[in-house]
Amino acid sequence: MVINKRDGISLVVDLLKSCLKKAFGYSELRYHKRDTFTVSVKDGKIDVLNSGIVEGACARTLIDGSWGFSSTTLLEKDKIEKILKNAASLAKASKPKKKRAVKLAKNKPYIDKYETPMKTDPRKSSKEELVQLVIDVDKDVRNFSKNIVSDTVNFNIVDDELIFLNSEGAEISQRIVRCFGSVMVIAREKGNITSAYDSIGAQTGLEILKKTPLINAGKTAAERASKLVSAEVAPAGVFPVILENRIVGLLAHEAVGHCSEADLVFGGSFLTGKIGKKVSSEKVTLVDNGFYPNGFGTMKYDDEGVPTQKTVIIDKGVCRSFLHSRETAQHFNVKPTGNARAWNFEYDPIIRMRNTYIESGDYSLEELAEDIKEGFFLKGGLSGQADFTGEFMFGTQEAVKIKNGKFAESLRGVTISGNAFEVLKNVDAIGDDFIMRIGLCDKEQINYVGMGGSSLRTKLLMGGAK
Amino acid sequence: MSLAEYARLAIKYCEKTGVDEAEAFVQAQQTIEVVLERAEIQSERVKTQQGIGIRVIKNKKLGFAFASTLSKASIEEACRNAQSLANVSMPNPDWVSLPTPSKLPKTPSGLYDEETAVAGGDEILELAMVSYDAAKNYDKRVEIDDGKFSAFVTDIAISNSHGIDVEEKTTLLEGYLICMAKERGEASSMAFEYDIARSIKDFSSKRIGEVAAEKALASLNPKTVEPFVGKVILDSDPAATILMYPIMSAVNADNVQRGRSLWAGKIGEEIASQKLTIVDDGLLPKGIGSSSFDFEGIPHQKTPILTKGKLEGYLHNCYTANKEKKKSTGNAYREGYNMLPLILASNLMVEPGKKKLDEMISEVDKGIIVRRFSGNVRAESGEFSGIAKQASYIEKGEIKYPLKETMISGNTFQALKNIIEIGCEIRPTLAKAYVPPILIDKINIVSK
Repeated sequence: MVINKRDGISLVVDLLKSCLKKAFGYSELRYHKRDTFTVSVKDGKIDVLNSGIVEGACARTLIDGSWGFSSTTLLEKDKIEKILKNAASLAKASKPKKKRAVKLAKNKPYIDKYETPMKTDPRKSSKEELVQLVIDVDKDVRNFSKNIVSDTVNFNIVDDELIFLNSEGAEISQRIVRCFGSVMVIAREKGNITSAYDSIGAQTGLEILKKTPLINAGKTAAERASKLVSAEVAPAGVFPVILENRIVGLLAHEAVGHCSEADLVFGGSFLTGKIGKKVSSEKVTLVDNGFYPNGFGTMKYDDEGVPTQKTVIIDKGVCRSFLHSRETAQHFNVKPTGNARAWNFEYDPIIRMRNTYIESGDYSLEELAEDIKEGFFLKGGLSGQADFTGEFMFGTQEAVKIKNGKFAESLRGVTISGNAFEVLKNVDAIGDDFIMRIGLCDKEQINYVGMGGSSLRTKLLMGGAK
Repeated sequence: MSLAEYARLAIKYCEKTGVDEAEAFVQAQQTIEVVLERAEIQSERVKTQQGIGIRVIKNKKLGFAFASTLSKASIEEACRNAQSLANVSMPNPDWVSLPTPSKLPKTPSGLYDEETAVAGGDEILELAMVSYDAAKNYDKRVEIDDGKFSAFVTDIAISNSHGIDVEEKTTLLEGYLICMAKERGEASSMAFEYDIARSIKDFSSKRIGEVAAEKALASLNPKTVEPFVGKVILDSDPAATILMYPIMSAVNADNVQRGRSLWAGKIGEEIASQKLTIVDDGLLPKGIGSSSFDFEGIPHQKTPILTKGKLEGYLHNCYTANKEKKKSTGNAYREGYNMLPLILASNLMVEPGKKKLDEMISEVDKGIIVRRFSGNVRAESGEFSGIAKQASYIEKGEIKYPLKETMISGNTFQALKNIIEIGCEIRPTLAKAYVPPILIDKINIVSK
């Protein structure tokens, strides 16, 4: 395993600084080094045991209101000067074809360092122990039940070194460490087959494995697959439902969060012109927090050098703020919220969520179920999508029947859909079981995000069996 | 140094340091991307990327490491990292060997286009603008939400300690546009259209814009429909997502060997409609997934998957083939130099039928047509459910009206038995499959 040295980072800072002297217009240089470790065990055998480093730099230049961007993995002085030149010439070339002239909101050029708070730094830990841990979890998962025929258990460390410099004088270096793992289980019985999945993780050191052991995800997945292999698929139609705390974050993120991204607001999303207006049930307070402790999407500064913050999008049902980059903040005449993020040095920062959640209520699960005559408790998320009109869909793994206020048998989960704001208007009770989960969001480029919430009660469309 | 030389350098170094086997996969890629957002050029990127992935085996123990810097020092470091991971790994009794060299077929024609290779930001921007203008000029009510146009020039070299030593250069263009139409304050759902091709000549920017606009307009003023179980015409793109994705998973030999495939042990059985014939063709001229070799350096080939509904075979890489003492079908695939090879179809080709889409529609008494699907498909079980986007209701052979918030659901493996018609208009999709529109029966359809 390669050990990064801090003096290595300061060498890169010096190199970038000297290159930036020759920049045109407003210029940014970012350096990104991603050191990853992955171990994956499938059916008792090591399937993947990887480590590696991807590093590179990118330049973004703003000339006469037009952006240009260029990146490289070749970290030599002349190559970095070349990407600055490329970015400038792209900015100039595309200028005549652009209608809007970009202006940036003011931001103090910070000079700062940040590192993910950690107890057990993965750089200093034995990889052998991690490999053994994953092997052990795999064994326990496969022993869970006779109908489990296959599984995949993996654990990952992603250790990012980020440097941000701009021609205004900002100089920020951040080290962001994420540790996460997942378990996928396949169960088979009498010609039926099903899979289940669960994950753990946070922005933290290896102490995550003590706080939320990987075997917990294994048990959830194994139990679910084993139980659902002989279950029917849930029915189709509009039903009152409880969304499990583990998937409420998906609703907050997919359906509502995206509509509050200022670039989408600009394009006419559902939340366009809705600041100060009621957009959901007053039970709902929805937040995107860039500095949530251990959040998967947490950074001290975003990729434009703007400090992150807690941004309340919906406060007790009323729309209060959008998520901004420097560019959109200027356009909307507000302060930037620190939401400009890039997946790596190959991408320019765009407006992204960080850790998005619905704040907790005070109902217990039993109380949430009490008033449901016939409905479902939807558990376990699968992937989702949303349009900026608020139309969303995401998959669920399990649908527990609720009959006269009581939980009954489990069925296979189905995709749910609706207009998020209608779903949020129908929220009449929120639970007290808040959790924050990890997620990966795709908006032209992917990024790590946190998604959270407590179980809540609403009404929506389920696409299932007849 | 050339990519092949970097690959050989890695193998030499590994051999010296006492591993049993070693493989180096080197990739260099130049990408130009133009991103459109909210009717504006959002970004233009020129990206240079390269890297090496090194797989070593020592006493049947696997280690893999990668680096994005191609230099003697960084390659040697990656080799050492791979070795030290192999040391802490555990032996895999199923491991036999990395592939040995065999004669490669002639490189399929049309995989490299000089015009694409030398294109700069201006040329790709021009492609994007043609598409953009085509959508804008199609109808005043059309608004562009976002889009992306990319050109890739990719160079791949693979070497291993058994003497595999191959290199190939390809070009690829990809583009999509997402539009909506607005009328009297009502917005249509988002319409998606794309193209993918190996050369600028074969890439139709204009068509992307026009079709995206047409789809958006066609979904204005939607209505709901009473729930029913019935016929659905899946256009190429949703047919690939709903039908081909679970097929790819079911014929993946790794899934078969692990009991993850419902088609395990069913070779020779009739498992789909007799109308369905599928081959995987890694040598298709101009093919999106074509090249003379797979990502372990094994020759690409044509592999029958389904013939008239009967299961013919599975797709293998070297590891799964060795396990059964078979020959690999040349389906090793990597997402990038930083990944180990998996199994994936190269070009999954559905044999086209005789009917055009219009004819297929005219023969549906009651049903819907789905031109975009946003939902979840469970690869193992084939369960799918999701929203039918750009969907319209068909009655007595005619499209009546667009559908609002309509969900479709069913089971892929059942649906494959209920294929009524396969269209003749085959096209590449973004899912490594060439698929025509497909008409299936007994699908659950429910509107809110």
